[in-house]
Amino acid sequence: MQHLSFLENVKAYVGFDDDASVALRGGHPVIAPHFGAIIDDFYDAIEAHPGARATITGGATQIQRLKGSLLQWIDEIFRGPHDQAYFERRARIGRVHVRIDLPQMYMFTAMDRIRVGSAEVIRNERSLDAVKSRELLTALHKILDIELAIMLETYREDLLTKNRTAERLATIGQFAAGIGHELRNPLGVIESSAFLVTRRLEQLQISDASLSKHLEKITLEVQRSNRTISDLLELARSKPLNRRPTEASAFIARAVAATGLPPSVEVDTMVPAGTILDVDPDQLTRVVTNLLLNASQAMRGSGRVFIAARREGNRSVIVVRDEGPGVPTELRARIFEALFTTKAKGNGIGLALCRRICEAHQGTITLDSSEVGASFRITIPDQSGLGV
Amino acid sequence: MATGSRRKILVVDDNVGLAENIAEILGMAGHVIEVAASAEEALSKVGSPPPDVVVTDYRLPGISGAALVRRLRQDGAPVHAIIISAHTDDGTVEDARRAGAAFVAKPIDFVALGRLVEG
Repeated sequence: MQHLSFLENVKAYVGFDDDASVALRGGHPVIAPHFGAIIDDFYDAIEAHPGARATITGGATQIQRLKGSLLQWIDEIFRGPHDQAYFERRARIGRVHVRIDLPQMYMFTAMDRIRVGSAEVIRNERSLDAVKSRELLTALHKILDIELAIMLETYREDLLTKNRTAERLATIGQFAAGIGHELRNPLGVIESSAFLVTRRLEQLQISDASLSKHLEKITLEVQRSNRTISDLLELARSKPLNRRPTEASAFIARAVAATGLPPSVEVDTMVPAGTILDVDPDQLTRVVTNLLLNASQAMRGSGRVFIAARREGNRSVIVVRDEGPGVPTELRARIFEALFTTKAKGNGIGLALCRRICEAHQGTITLDSSEVGASFRITIPDQSGLGV
Repeated sequence: MATGSRRKILVVDDNVGLAENIAEILGMAGHVIEVAASAEEALSKVGSPPPDVVVTDYRLPGISGAALVRRLRQDGAPVHAIIISAHTDDGTVEDARRAGAAFVAKPIDFVALGRLVEG
């Protein structure tokens, strides 16, 4: 059997042939004067619907920009050519929908506005005879259904990629968790032996700076290894959330203390009095701790870290910013991927775990572009009905 | 670690190095410690009078830590039990609880363990 591309496949299925392309192209001069009205109607419908409106976060400026893109999109529908390059461009738009998490139903409802608006223009257009009008309408329905098929395909591709990543992570997670558990025991022996040596030295009243320094190093490094193992184990299994109103300044203070930063790292905290976060404080501590450790490492163990926690409407926001070299632009998109690391000795677990925990809260973690250093922003919407 | 009453403690872990260290740390508080590398060895060392406290790893070769605690109780030892594990999943913690034991996660917080032993 001849291998058909995705586009050829759907075109063949709905019977979209060269005649259909010609019909659309022929209709272009007739319909083009109405594009503005169709687009306005399209965005009026979005603005009138609370759910659809929520997908537009950039206000009037964004709508203006989107109207420009939509004009080009509709123009291409009629103008064609409906070839592979056309398909590629459409798929790119589909991937934008996936990236912004546009609920799929809005593709259909929005497409309905274009369909109804264009069909009405065609039906009312006196310059078209009955045959031309019918041909144009049929071609329009076919191409719009092809558009939907392309958009759905991008969602499917995205889902497959996500599933593959999840499967890979699950396998690696199980394997890593096994190793993690195995390492806990020798680490336990090292840690308790260091503890016993410290006690013994106290008993013998031996005070030696070099011995103390090395014992401290052993203990710190064991703690660090334990933390890596904990991150690994957390990543391998997802723990249910225990969200509750959490007093922000005490939470941040505990997270900073739990991180155990070197004294040469200064932490500036900015939390308005009385700020309450709606989060699972235990799991979110892991996120803050990981970001602080990354910040400290990025600054080679010396410099200033800023942490801010605040409310933004019905969201809890935490920002962690450092004065390190920042993240190179070409790597920014990938830093939250599991097993991806920019550090010579990183394991690619920390930020993946951060993202996992934030997403479990229905929230996001993003790397803001900032003038100096790296600035991470955690945004967590309140759970409905909690009334923080 | 506060020196409370002197207790007879049985420490069970198949990682002998860790079992010995736990024993030594608890021994600092003046307790009398016996070490075993498996539940079977622990049962053979119980003797009379039985230990006041058993501190055992959950995952042991052969009989598990939770099963060991149940067995000791069946044999009439009114033993105070503490189960230790690096596996902090709900199943393990729940099994320890059902066996009537306190649960301590690895890495072990020795101060907390000391308090549990005294308690």
